[in-house]
Amino acid sequence: MSHVGTLRAFRGMTRAGTRSVLIYRGDLITGAATLVIQVALAIAVWRIVYGGRGPVDGVDVKTAVAYAAIAACLQSVLLPWQFSSLPMRIRNGQIATDLTRPLGLIWQILGQNLGVLLGRLPLGAIGLAVAAVLGALTLPPGWGAGLLALVATVGGALVAMLCNLIVSMVTFWTFEVGGPLIVYRFGSAFLSGSLIPLWFMPGWLRASVEWLPFQAQVYTPVSIYLGQTRGGEALALVGVQLVWVVVLAFLLELVWRRARHKVVVQGG
Amino acid sequence: MAELSWVRQYVILERAALRAQLQYRVNFWTTLMGGVAYQGTQLLFLGVLLGKFGLIAGWGFPEVAFVFAMRLASHAFYVVPFGALMRTDEMVRDGEFDRVLLRPVNPFLQLVTRWFPLMALGDALLGFGALAIFGWQAPVDWSATKLVYLILAVVCGGLVETGIQTVFCGLSFVATSTFSLRIFADNSITQFSGYPLTMFGRTTFYAFCTVFPMAFISFLPATVLLDRTDDVPLPVWLITASPLAGPIVFALSYAFFTKMMPRYTSPGS
Repeated sequence: MSHVGTLRAFRGMTRAGTRSVLIYRGDLITGAATLVIQVALAIAVWRIVYGGRGPVDGVDVKTAVAYAAIAACLQSVLLPWQFSSLPMRIRNGQIATDLTRPLGLIWQILGQNLGVLLGRLPLGAIGLAVAAVLGALTLPPGWGAGLLALVATVGGALVAMLCNLIVSMVTFWTFEVGGPLIVYRFGSAFLSGSLIPLWFMPGWLRASVEWLPFQAQVYTPVSIYLGQTRGGEALALVGVQLVWVVVLAFLLELVWRRARHKVVVQGG
Repeated sequence: MAELSWVRQYVILERAALRAQLQYRVNFWTTLMGGVAYQGTQLLFLGVLLGKFGLIAGWGFPEVAFVFAMRLASHAFYVVPFGALMRTDEMVRDGEFDRVLLRPVNPFLQLVTRWFPLMALGDALLGFGALAIFGWQAPVDWSATKLVYLILAVVCGGLVETGIQTVFCGLSFVATSTFSLRIFADNSITQFSGYPLTMFGRTTFYAFCTVFPMAFISFLPATVLLDRTDDVPLPVWLITASPLAGPIVFALSYAFFTKMMPRYTSPGS
């Protein structure tokens, strides 16, 4: 397939992914409403926890509250419950059709995942708007930090998609992937810093979390946006994201090479 | 099928569902760990938060952890026997519900036994473990009466959660997808029901007692055991009677479910 053809096929998958989110309007509306409630509750929890006290570990209540609100929105966009239909397609044999398409399977899934992510963006935006109305948002310390946070968000999205896909690949061996996906989902919810910022974690925990790819998903972009991580340190965190993208892409290729020999078409 | 009681029907179908799930060994162990990881992260979160801040609205770690443990044990009473309700949407959307209607077994019974949620076993493991540990450490003067009350509260809390999910099942007959609602209920109960719920202000607290009755799952009975009913803006007799909400919520939602069932329209027809 030519490059233009590949690109067009990828775009087609992305569009299909977005549509799969947007088609269930009722679900999207309840999704937005429930995210709003969750953001409001998360803001309330952090305000109550601080209860008028000054900065804790150098973090004031405003920053902690903004972190909780942004992280909840980012999590709902980057770490959706159902990212790809791959496990289902392997289980019911549809994978056979997928493999005959001219666009490689990995690109098909990544395109679809990107589509899901784009389809969920409005949700995150609504969550952020409500957080702003509740006075929970703060602006980044400067243009540079804002821009770098944006880059880090894209990096976070890439890391999230790659991790998700690698975990989904397990289905080629086990057929059922509910378990690994749940471990991944909740592991990443905590380890990515979306429940609690890394700066509040005890030293031993933080040191271990820093060696994993999850902090790149949520903690890195939010802490740069809030100015908690600045200058060289912020650039280093984005660099770490880049390293993870490369490592995970390599790992994905490795897993896929082995998985290809494991394909069993069910019901065929 | 009339000769079989529904309990017997439930046991037969649930056992088959469990066997079906157990064939994927790796998945069994990872899912079990998933249950522990899911709830464990919440406990870790509370630990880190209280380790840093000491108190939440005047409640310390032993008290918050006790409410968490009660909540999780209650959750096990929902998710082990009824967790399959989570997949009702799929059945309605794919038209598989047609088959349910054709069989001579109660449709609700078929829904809950269609699939065994293995993760529930992880929840149960951590829930009962946590209840034993944090129940011991909680500032409660244990007696036989209190122990019976605790068991009653935990079982009835499970019924409240089952009731909430049953309402969503009823809704799925008219809405194409209730997935977000289910995830919301599950997330909210997981993330917030462990806190002293009165801290969110009176209006929100009353909403947790009515619209979304999360307060009955563990918080209200826990205040009785922890002798903290003063924190709650409700009469003490009402707080003490809070486990009764379990059967009431469940009965109401089951009635709603059966009322909505005729609204099911088979897709593709």
